Amino acid sequence: MSYVLAKSQNNEILEAGECGGAVTSILKYLLDEGLVDGVLALSPQDDVYDAFPVFVTDSEDLLKTAGSYHCAPTMIGDLVQKYFIDKKVAFTVKPCDMRAVEELITRHKINRDNIYMIGLNCGGTVSPVSGRKMIDLFYEANPDDVVSEEIDKGQFIIELADGSEEAVKIHDLENEGYGRRNNCQRCDVKIPRKANIACGNWGAEDGWTFIEINDEKGQELIDGAKKAGILETKSPSDAAVEGRSKVENIMIKMAKKNQDATYPTVSEMTEWSRCISCYACRDVCPICWCFENCELNKPYFKDEANIPPVPIAFQGVRLSHMSFSCVDCGQCDDVCPMDIPVSLIFDKLQKKYYDRKKKQSYEVI
Amino acid sequence: MSDDLKIVGLLCNWCCYGGADTAGTARMQYSPNIRIIRVMCSGRINPSMIFKAFQEGADGVFVGGCHIGDCHYDAGNYKWSRRSKIVEDILEEFGIEKERFRHEWISASEGEKFQRTMEEFHKTLTKLGPLELE
Repeated sequence: MSYVLAKSQNNEILEAGECGGAVTSILKYLLDEGLVDGVLALSPQDDVYDAFPVFVTDSEDLLKTAGSYHCAPTMIGDLVQKYFIDKKVAFTVKPCDMRAVEELITRHKINRDNIYMIGLNCGGTVSPVSGRKMIDLFYEANPDDVVSEEIDKGQFIIELADGSEEAVKIHDLENEGYGRRNNCQRCDVKIPRKANIACGNWGAEDGWTFIEINDEKGQELIDGAKKAGILETKSPSDAAVEGRSKVENIMIKMAKKNQDATYPTVSEMTEWSRCISCYACRDVCPICWCFENCELNKPYFKDEANIPPVPIAFQGVRLSHMSFSCVDCGQCDDVCPMDIPVSLIFDKLQKKYYDRKKKQSYEVI
Repeated sequence: MSDDLKIVGLLCNWCCYGGADTAGTARMQYSPNIRIIRVMCSGRINPSMIFKAFQEGADGVFVGGCHIGDCHYDAGNYKWSRRSKIVEDILEEFGIEKERFRHEWISASEGEKFQRTMEEFHKTLTKLGPLELE
């Protein structure tokens, strides 16, 4: 594990990208050298609140994917397992994406040799709908005028078309029920250390990207990009490394506080009683992979007459399949038409399981 | 039958099922509430089977497997013991006391242990009473 500061040598990328444009440059290097068949990245649509995952095979198109999008909480893991299983592909991962991909690798659904994971430090994502509403309410700006957004030093910062910036403390937003998505507020993985490299602006100087190299493949990636003349690097000062870990620790502390506050308040049985058996949470889960063979579709569990379904025969089965591997990505919360905090319950159970595992170290009787 | 507490017992073919057989041939007495389902290995039992049993009206579920190290298929019982922890955690969330779910390692020669376990489990369930799912 080592740290470098990196900056793109390509002016266009430097202009379009976040910080030093290192992520886009590395993706470009991978495509140009033919190391991957394509790159899976987010491309913005009509406004900053909307972005689609796109599969880029021409490095010219990469520019459109540069920059960060906090309002597009999309998962990459299930896309890779569904559509790119036999392709060599590079993609960017948030910590929850990374955890999902790791889970899928252990389930033999993704081949580690075929993928390059470019990690992105993540302080949280914002749901597009509440993002718009929040900007309308807390900022003196029209949500449509926002050209970019950024989370930095505990503030949610928006930039308008005329170059002016406005910032509001995330803490204040979240007290009012806006700000980051609920699962992001309690997420305690901020740096994706199982990706090949983890990039971000924490601790970095202006115009540089701070990169933590996590494994040999990541080291090869940086060395290769440097050799190809697309990236310049220097080693960060001790103060920068320290500053970065300080940011991470503050974030983790906040997350733990949020966990302690939310876990005891959820009452599962009341929440389940709103369930309408739409299976949306199952279908969207990035690590649920049985698809048509799902146990919930089997005749002995299929129960279309009962709404809400018997909790233990629906949610119980889902919990027993997924809760110990839940990556807390919050997709199930987003799709639930009845607003059941599914991921909160899964995440709570996972923490319970792990805490007990730690305590008893799971000695077999 | 003195009461209608229903116990579903999932017993592994190689050890616990043999243990129940030993108890039977030796005419050891134990409460007759258990309905035995023979499975080839405790490692093939999914948490969902336990939940299905509770959903269909079982008051308690018992799982019996080989002692660790004795599994006919090498490590099935080890896998089950890992899985059993999450079952306990989940049952609590659904308002089912975790005492209603029990698992034990019983070898084919331990008829006496099978008898004792059944008696204990029946006693626990009598104390808890019939299960009422919400």
